[in-house]
Amino acid sequence: MSKRKVKETHMPVGECISQYGYIFQVQMILRERFCHQRLPEKPVGMESQHKHLLELLRRTAVHGESNSVLIVGPRGSGKTMLLNCVLRELLEVKDVNKNVLPVHLNGLLQTDDRIALKEITRQLNLENVVGDKVFGSFAENLAFLLEALKKGDRSSSRPVLFILDEFDLFAHHKNQTLLYNLLDVSQSAQAPVAVIGLTCRLDVLELLEKRVKSRFSHRQIHLLSSLSFIQYLDNVRSQLSLPQDFPDTNFYDEWNDGIKTLCEDQSVVDVLQRHYNSSKDFRSLHLLLMLALSRVSASKPAIKPTDLLEASRVCMVDSKANILHGLSILELCLIIAMKHLNDIYEGEPFNFQMVHNEFKKFLQRKSHSIHNFDKPVVIKAFEHLQQLELIKSMDSSTAKIQKEYQLMKLLLDHSQIMEALQKYPQCPTDVKQWAMSAFG
Amino acid sequence: MVRYFTRLRMRRIYKWGGRPYIFDRKLKSYGFEYLNMSVEGQEAVTTVTPGQYILIEGNDDEYPFVAKLLKFFGDESHKQKKALVQWFLRLSEVPQNKKLLLGRSPHPQEIFYYLGRACDNEINAESILAQCPGCGIIKIYCYPLFLHNFDAETPQWALEVKVESCVPRNMTRQTALLNTRPLNPEASCTNVSGGNTVQLTNKVSPARHKKSLEHEKPSKAPPSQNLPNPDDAGPGSNSGLEKELRNSVCFPCFLIQVTPSTPRHATPSIPSRTVPARQPGNILEEARARLHVSSVPESLPCREQEFQDIYNFVESKVMDGTGGCMYISGVPGTGKTATIHEVIRCLQHASDMDEIPTFRFIEINGMKMTDPHQAYVQILQKLTDQKVTADHAAALLEKRFSNPAPKKETTVLLVDELDLLWTRKQNVMYNLFDWPTRRHARLVVLTIANTMDLPERIMINRVASRLGLTRMSFQPYSFKQLQQIITSRLNKVKAFEEDALQLVSRKVAALSGDARRCLDICRRATEICEHSTSHPSSAGLVRMNHVMEALDEMFSSSYITAIRCASLQEQLFLRAVIAEFRRLGLEEATFQQVFVQHRALSRVEGLQPISVSEGLAVCQRLGACRLLLLEASRLDMLQRVRLNVSQDDVLYALKAVRD
Repeated sequence: MSKRKVKETHMPVGECISQYGYIFQVQMILRERFCHQRLPEKPVGMESQHKHLLELLRRTAVHGESNSVLIVGPRGSGKTMLLNCVLRELLEVKDVNKNVLPVHLNGLLQTDDRIALKEITRQLNLENVVGDKVFGSFAENLAFLLEALKKGDRSSSRPVLFILDEFDLFAHHKNQTLLYNLLDVSQSAQAPVAVIGLTCRLDVLELLEKRVKSRFSHRQIHLLSSLSFIQYLDNVRSQLSLPQDFPDTNFYDEWNDGIKTLCEDQSVVDVLQRHYNSSKDFRSLHLLLMLALSRVSASKPAIKPTDLLEASRVCMVDSKANILHGLSILELCLIIAMKHLNDIYEGEPFNFQMVHNEFKKFLQRKSHSIHNFDKPVVIKAFEHLQQLELIKSMDSSTAKIQKEYQLMKLLLDHSQIMEALQKYPQCPTDVKQWAMSAFG
Repeated sequence: MVRYFTRLRMRRIYKWGGRPYIFDRKLKSYGFEYLNMSVEGQEAVTTVTPGQYILIEGNDDEYPFVAKLLKFFGDESHKQKKALVQWFLRLSEVPQNKKLLLGRSPHPQEIFYYLGRACDNEINAESILAQCPGCGIIKIYCYPLFLHNFDAETPQWALEVKVESCVPRNMTRQTALLNTRPLNPEASCTNVSGGNTVQLTNKVSPARHKKSLEHEKPSKAPPSQNLPNPDDAGPGSNSGLEKELRNSVCFPCFLIQVTPSTPRHATPSIPSRTVPARQPGNILEEARARLHVSSVPESLPCREQEFQDIYNFVESKVMDGTGGCMYISGVPGTGKTATIHEVIRCLQHASDMDEIPTFRFIEINGMKMTDPHQAYVQILQKLTDQKVTADHAAALLEKRFSNPAPKKETTVLLVDELDLLWTRKQNVMYNLFDWPTRRHARLVVLTIANTMDLPERIMINRVASRLGLTRMSFQPYSFKQLQQIITSRLNKVKAFEEDALQLVSRKVAALSGDARRCLDICRRATEICEHSTSHPSSAGLVRMNHVMEALDEMFSSSYITAIRCASLQEQLFLRAVIAEFRRLGLEEATFQQVFVQHRALSRVEGLQPISVSEGLAVCQRLGACRLLLLEASRLDMLQRVRLNVSQDDVLYALKAVRD
C-alpha cells in the first residue's frame, strides 16, 4: 500500500525505492528498540548498581560463593534490563560461560510452589535423569530437588542462578517453602546458588517470614532513577538517533540532524516535559515515541513536532471521556441527571427511580428538543451505562432488590462530564444548559 | 490410623516339638527340643532346632535379621513361645567405622559375630521366619566386633562352608519358609568334616573358591587353638565366647544373598563445573570466604553451655538406651541448628571411638516438606530407605517404635521448624512425642522452633505433656558474643579494624542478635572496602566508614529516597493525599477526593492539570511501590487510598526536594 503512495509522489523511481528501503530499515531498528526491549550497550544512570550486581554474580560463578540479592525499583525502572545486561556480560567471560545454570522464574507464571518446582527441575534439565520418576507428587519433587542441591558442593558443582521475577508474589506461597529452601541453600554448604529477586515493592522484606528473612542476606539494590530532565531529553535523542553502522551516511546524517532539531523544538520540549513530570520510566516514553514513529513513511521521511504532539495527545487522552462521546443523548441525559443528584446529595448513592425523576423534571421544565421516552427504554439505557461501568452498584446482594431501587454510584468526575459535553457532536443546547446549571 | 499391607500376609503356625523339660522351676518355664513351623493351608512343615542359624523378622521384609538359635523355652500353657539367640550382623548392618577396622573389603555375604550389650537376646519364637538359606560358598569371619579390644589383624577364626541349597534373593516371608529345605545340623556337620571343606584360612585348600580367595587375608592366629571340633558341638551350649565361636564353626551358616542391585531412588545432582572454582586470592577474599554463613567454623564459640546441656542429654539417653524429648527455642540466627549438628558430630566421634554405643541421626525440617504428614515419609525413608505413602509410613513407624526389636540402636531425631508440623488434630506432633515414651523405641527427639512458649501456645494438652519440660532457649547473641564469633571465624586473618568489628556487633546486637545478619554485613563491608580502592590487591583493612556504608545499605529505609526520586506528578499526588487527610481529619480518603486536591495543587504549582486516567495511573504506580495502600482497582474512582509511610516522612522527603 505504501508503495502505491510512493508512486503517487513524483519522485525518480530508483531514489524512491532506496528511500523506501532506508525508511523501512529505520522503522525496523527503532521498533526493535521500543518494542522488543533490546538491551542497550550499557545501562544508563545505574553504573554503581551494575557494578555491584556484576561483581556479586561473578563471585558466584567463579568462586562458587552463594549469594542472595533483591533488586528493587518501581515499574519501568530497568530492573530486568539491568539483570539481563549483567547476565549477558557474565556469559561473555570464558570461564563462566559453560559454568552457570540460570533458572528464570516469574511470580505471575509460577503461581504456587508446585509449579515452580517443576519449572526449576525442567530448567535444570533434571527431569530425565532418573527416568519418569521425577514428576511425581509435590512432596517427591521437593525432596528430589533439595537432594540434588544438597549433593553439590562449593568447589565442584555448577552454580545455579535463580532469578525470581515478581519476587513479592513468591512470598505469598504457602509457608514460603520455596523461598526458605532456596535461601537456606544459599546459606549452607551445598551447591552454590545465587538467588536474585526482582520486585517493585519497597516493603518486600516485611513480607518475608522471620526465618526466611534471617536467611536472606539483606542485600538490596535499589533502582530509583534520579534522572534530570536534561538527561531525559538526551535519552530521547539517543533513542531516536540511528546507530553508527547505518548503511547510508547521507540518510544517517539527515535523520540524526532532523532528530536534533526536533528535540530542540519548544513544543516538543513541552510535550516531553509533561511526560517527564508524569513519569520518568522508559516504557511510557517508548510508547510515545512508537506512536510518533508510526507516522513516518517514505513520503514523510522524518519525525515532525506535530507527530509528537499528536502522539502525546493519544497517550494522554482520558479513556472515560472517550466513552462518553459514544453515548446516545438519552444516556448522556441520565449521566447529567446523576451529576445533579451527586451535587444535591453530596455524593450519596442514588437509584434508578431518582435518576428517572430528575430526568422527567428536566423534560417537563426545560427540554424543547428531547421527547419523552418510555420507562423500559430508559431502564435499558441505564443498564447500558452499568455495563460500561460508568456507574457501579453499591450493594453486593443484587438479587434481592428490584432493579429500579438498587443503589448506584457514578464513576465519573464532573470535569470529565463537562469536557465530554463540550466535544460531543451536535449536542442540543438545552442539554448543555441543563448540565451547566447549578441545580437540576 | 489405617494400616495398609502391601503384601499378602500369610499366617504361620508354630508348634513345639519334642519332649518338654523344665527350664526354670521358679518361673515355671519349660524348654523344648525343636519348633515346627508351617504355613496355614499348606502341607510343608519346617523344623528348627537350637544350633541352627535362623532368619528373624526384621524392620523390613527384604532384610531379615540373622541369628543363631540357642534355646527354646515357653510357659506351661505353651502359648508363649520364646527363644534365646546369638545375634549375627550382616555386612550391611555393620557400622562404617567397624568396617574400616577390618582393614579389608569383606565379602558381601559375610556375617559377623555380634557381642553388643545393647541387644536383647531373648526373642519371640513366632518372629522366626526360616532357616538361613545359603548358596554357593560362603566365608564367615567371626569378629567379636563389639568388643573394645578388637584387633583387626587377628581374626578369631574363619571358615568356609560349602552349601548346596540355593535360594533366590529378595527373601520374603513366604519364599523363605517354602523354599528352604530343613537341614540336619548333624548331617551337615559330618558332611563338612568328612568332606574336608572346613578349612582354616591359613591352610590353603585346592578346592577353594576363587572369589573367597580374593577376600581372604592370611590369619596370624595359631591354627591349633581355634581348630573346630565337630564333636564338641551340640545344641544349647552357650557358655562363653570361646566355646560359642567353636560352636558356630561346626554348623553351616547361610546368608541371604544380597547382590548389589541398581539403586531404586537414584538422585541426580547438579552437573559439575568444567573449570574448578577459584580459590580466594587475597586477604579480603579469604576473609569473605570465612565469613560466609555456610562455611563451617572450627568451633562454635559462645554456645558452650547450651552445647554441654544438649550433649549431656543426648549422651545419657544413648548410653541408657532410653528415649526422650527436648524442646529448643530461640529467634532465627542464634545457632540452634548449628549447635545440635556440632553435638551430633562430637557424639558420632565418641561412638567411633567406642565410648558410647552407636546411634543413628536423622534430621527433618518442617519447612522442607510440603505437608506435615510428609514427616513420616521422610523419617521412614531416612531410617530404612523405603518410599511409601504417608499413612503407610506412619503405620510402619508405629510398629517399628512400639515393638521390641532386636539389635535396635538409638535413633536421634532432629525436628527443625517444629511449628510447621502443626495440624488441626496435631497427630503428627503427638506421634513424634509419643514414640520416645514407648519402652522399646529408643528414640531421642530434639525439636527446634522460634517461639519460647510454643508448647503452651499451639499444642493441646496431651501433646504438650508428652513433650515434657526439657526445654532450652537460645538467647540472642550479645555484642561481645557476636564479636567473638567473627573473630573466631576470621581466625587470625587480619582484615578488619577492631573498632569496625565492634560497630557491626553492637549494631546487630541492638537490633536482632542474629549472627547471620552480622556475618552478612561484614561480608558486604569487605566488598565495599575492595571497591573503594582502584586495585583490589592494594585494599587495606576494612575500616569504620566501610562498615558504616554497609550498615546503611542494609538497614536504612528506602521510602524517603523513593519519594525523592518519584516524578513530579507522583510527588504532587502524595501532597494531595496529605492535604486531603488533613481536611478530613482521617487517615483515609477516596481517590476522587484526593484528585480534587491534586488538581488544586497543580494549579497552584502552575502545572497543566492531568486527566483522571492519568491521575489513576499515577496513583497505581505509587500503590505498586507500596508508598500508598490501595483498594482493588476495579473500584476505580471510589477506591480508598491510605499512606504506607508516615506523613512526616513524606513531608520531610518532599521538603528536601524543594529546597
